[in-house]
Amino acid sequence: MNFLSLTVLVFLPLVGALLVAATPSKAVGLQRGITLLTMLATGVIGIMLCLDFNGASAAMQHVESKPWFTLPGGIAVQYKLGLDGISVLMVALTALLGPIVMLSTWGHIHERVKEFNVWLLVMQTGMLGVFLALDVVLFYTFWEVSLVPLYFILGIWGGANRLYATIKFFLYTVFGSLVMLIAVIWLMYRFDSTDIELITNQAGNLPGNVQLWLFSAFALAFAIKVPLMPFHTWLPDAHTEAPTSGSVILAGVLLKMGTYGLLRFCIAMFPAAAIEAAPWMMALGALGIVYGAFLAMAQTDIKKLVACSSVSHLGYVVLGLFAMTAAGLRGGVLQMVNHGLSTGLLFLLIGMIYERRHTRALDQYGGIAKVMPVFALFFVIAVLSSVGLPGLNGFVGEYLVLLGTFERSPALAAIAVTGVVFGAVYLLMATRKMLFGPLVNSKNKTLMDLGAREIVLMLPIVALIVWMGVAPNTFLARSEGSLNALTQRLDRARSVRTALYESPGEHQPPGAVTGFGYVGGEGR
Amino acid sequence: MTEQLIRPELMAEIFSERTLLATAPFVALSVGILLLILAEVIPGMRALRKLLFVGTIGVAGWYAWQTIASGTETFVFEKTYVANSTTGWWTLLFLASTLIAWIFGQRYYDKSEALFEGEHDLLLMSAASGMVLMAGSRDLLVFFVGLELLSVPLYTLSAFRRSRRDSVEAGLKYFMLGAFAAATYLFGAALIYAGTGSLTFSSMHPADIGAPLVLTGVALVVSSLFFKVSVFPFHLWVPDVYQGAPAPVTTFMATGTKAAAFAFLLPTAAALMPASAKPLVAVIALMTIAAGNFGALVQTDLKRMLAYSGVAHAGTMLLAIAGMQGDPEVGGATRALLFYMAAYVFTAGGAFGLLTMLEAQTGRAVTLDSIRGLAKKRPGIAAALAVFMLSLGGIPATGGFLGKYLVFSVAVRSGLVVVAVIGIALSVVALGYYLRVIIALYMQPESEKHPVPATSRMTSSALAFVCVAMVIALGCVPAWFLDNLR
Repeated sequence: MNFLSLTVLVFLPLVGALLVAATPSKAVGLQRGITLLTMLATGVIGIMLCLDFNGASAAMQHVESKPWFTLPGGIAVQYKLGLDGISVLMVALTALLGPIVMLSTWGHIHERVKEFNVWLLVMQTGMLGVFLALDVVLFYTFWEVSLVPLYFILGIWGGANRLYATIKFFLYTVFGSLVMLIAVIWLMYRFDSTDIELITNQAGNLPGNVQLWLFSAFALAFAIKVPLMPFHTWLPDAHTEAPTSGSVILAGVLLKMGTYGLLRFCIAMFPAAAIEAAPWMMALGALGIVYGAFLAMAQTDIKKLVACSSVSHLGYVVLGLFAMTAAGLRGGVLQMVNHGLSTGLLFLLIGMIYERRHTRALDQYGGIAKVMPVFALFFVIAVLSSVGLPGLNGFVGEYLVLLGTFERSPALAAIAVTGVVFGAVYLLMATRKMLFGPLVNSKNKTLMDLGAREIVLMLPIVALIVWMGVAPNTFLARSEGSLNALTQRLDRARSVRTALYESPGEHQPPGAVTGFGYVGGEGR
Repeated sequence: MTEQLIRPELMAEIFSERTLLATAPFVALSVGILLLILAEVIPGMRALRKLLFVGTIGVAGWYAWQTIASGTETFVFEKTYVANSTTGWWTLLFLASTLIAWIFGQRYYDKSEALFEGEHDLLLMSAASGMVLMAGSRDLLVFFVGLELLSVPLYTLSAFRRSRRDSVEAGLKYFMLGAFAAATYLFGAALIYAGTGSLTFSSMHPADIGAPLVLTGVALVVSSLFFKVSVFPFHLWVPDVYQGAPAPVTTFMATGTKAAAFAFLLPTAAALMPASAKPLVAVIALMTIAAGNFGALVQTDLKRMLAYSGVAHAGTMLLAIAGMQGDPEVGGATRALLFYMAAYVFTAGGAFGLLTMLEAQTGRAVTLDSIRGLAKKRPGIAAALAVFMLSLGGIPATGGFLGKYLVFSVAVRSGLVVVAVIGIALSVVALGYYLRVIIALYMQPESEKHPVPATSRMTSSALAFVCVAMVIALGCVPAWFLDNLR
């Protein structure tokens, strides 16, 4: 048996979960040990697989395919996994964050440790499965299954208002995914197949209005997950109530399932519809950037502030992806990883300070850089990365996104740029309030600085933040082939569309929105 | 006259091996009923009762499996009764439902009631035999015999706890409404007979079926079936009866009766329902889902909540009936419903079964308050209940999801896309109350007023485990079942 395979990668955490479930509930050390080992092994396998990946090729790699079951109509549902340039960075991020999240639980999970570790591992299986599945039914299965662990993590180990947050989170997301399910069923019977690659190759030929309907069904599910602006209200609640590790998973990986879905399904599968809808999606993205920033500015709870900043940052991702230019797509993909790293790091740090002071109110802090210099250092790095300081990862992603947006619509790019400024304002203000100034509150005078475990678990993230800022091509090169192929597909769809609508006697396309200064056609 | 009535070739056919094999599950159950009666009157045989019960179910199941394995279709009794792999699967589901209800019901009744446990088992098996007859019938009258064979024992069983008011009330309510439904059915069947000159589907002339008289009859017959499967607006009896009836009987009613009525609704709809009724059925299905889900949302008594949830599930299954016409895949609706029902038998059967156990242990109705904190003291039971809730809610990796997937597939294939979207949106409501059960189990501290039982019963726990295994197997590795459905 080949241990370096996607099946092992996806199901190793599940095996670990079963092992943990079989331990006696008092053996906390054993449970944590098994979980950590499983997470580390998964991380190593995941990263090795991603290193053993040819970024120049657009083809699916490490593909594994077996018949799963046959539906009564004769449609064979497959168990099919594969890695391509769209998923490779996401898989690497998920694999990397696994052990880090696990290590962070040492500090704040003291009750029902066994259950928590089981859910953490099941979650890892679900998330990796979402990124790797190449069959719509399999994808949908992983997509929904990954909801359940977070539901429990939020509901059991969350804050005071956790039950409200957990129900809200679950119902919101399930609603979106069920609408997607209808689209999945429709596609399956249209193409007599559940293979994502096959459907992607053929769905582009569907009539425009059908594509638009399918696009909308998928986009709703993913927009709720991202979350895109009007669907974002579950996120601040979920983040505020979640335990640290839950927040890190949520921000680091789970939200990326939404943006990944937008890219894999909405854009790649229905290019014509995506082109039609792009101005609207970009507008929502830009709106989200500004709106999220304003929300964040008004927060007095540091965790809620970071949660709102997530809405803002994910706006960039959507903006970049739907600019659908070479730069925009790259920026979007890179920004997914960036957000996972920098916001994940911020949530880890907030969790660490919360474990010491049991408050997240900004006005309770001030000047703690004097007593916690190491904490302050990490916090400043995370904030600067989030703000987009050149030399760190955030800058590269935001720059590419803005570049791509500018090619399509200078007006939207201008709106988005204000988000960068606002981001700097609220994050740096929060940093000043927390870390600097006089150390007034007497409770803060005895705070312990970070311990060895806490530093070690954050080091890989910091290293990546710097690495991605200095040499982003190491990472972008992995997605090169797939993104080039996608750009070509989109260009082809665009030229078909232009030819169609420019033929004499045709009406203007209904979706050719000229508002927002959107430039359609071959603008690249 | 007499020569005409008793035709020798007919008698020869009735007692032929072919007929016997086709009706073997029903015959086995009938023999089992007789043996159970004997066991009650012959002093030394009482001890054998449980063995007899399980043995009969086993033999009937074996014959049903033989029908499935042979893959043949046999019409008997002048085409009024059929045995094929579909009826074989239905029969297996009925038997599974009977067995689940029976095993969970062990040690449920208190001492004064337990005296009559022999009768209880006898009635249960009689109801099971009625269901087998219902699934196989292709004739309105044969079906009626099966229906009464099921219903009359169920009325009695609902009122089985004679010392309790709610149980007697449930029995009476069910009986009154059931009798009314039976009368409606008979009136409808009479109209159909008047219009077509036959009660057997195969000898009705298609041209006759569109006549107003016949359509009125069809509407009456279908209404009566809707009553049995608890479809809006004929669902109002369900919460009261499910809540009041003894828990093992509720388990049986929720899974078995519903399956039996759907088993006959499928051929009835295929033979008699006009294409113009499709939108009407779709709307009724949606109303049923809405009525069930919104009704369940405000319940705190779990039996009542699951009763409403059962109404919603009936609505979802009705979507497959609505989508039957215009579905390019022949038999797609039947297979979808068989799968849905299989998942439902083990999911709802397991859930009601665990409620039976908890009710018997605490002596009180099981409410959201009384299961609080169950996860800490009885992690296995809580986990099983959580899996059942997720499966009822249609979360993937459970049988409930795939059942839903297949049913909605039928609707989408036959062009009911908008209906499917509305149905899906309504089923999000369902998760609202399923999640509340999980919240109570896992996320709330134990209530001081209602302590959780400190032990669980071995047989019930083992059976719950089997149900969980089946639910997950149907969701994760469904090939063994799906491949046999073709």
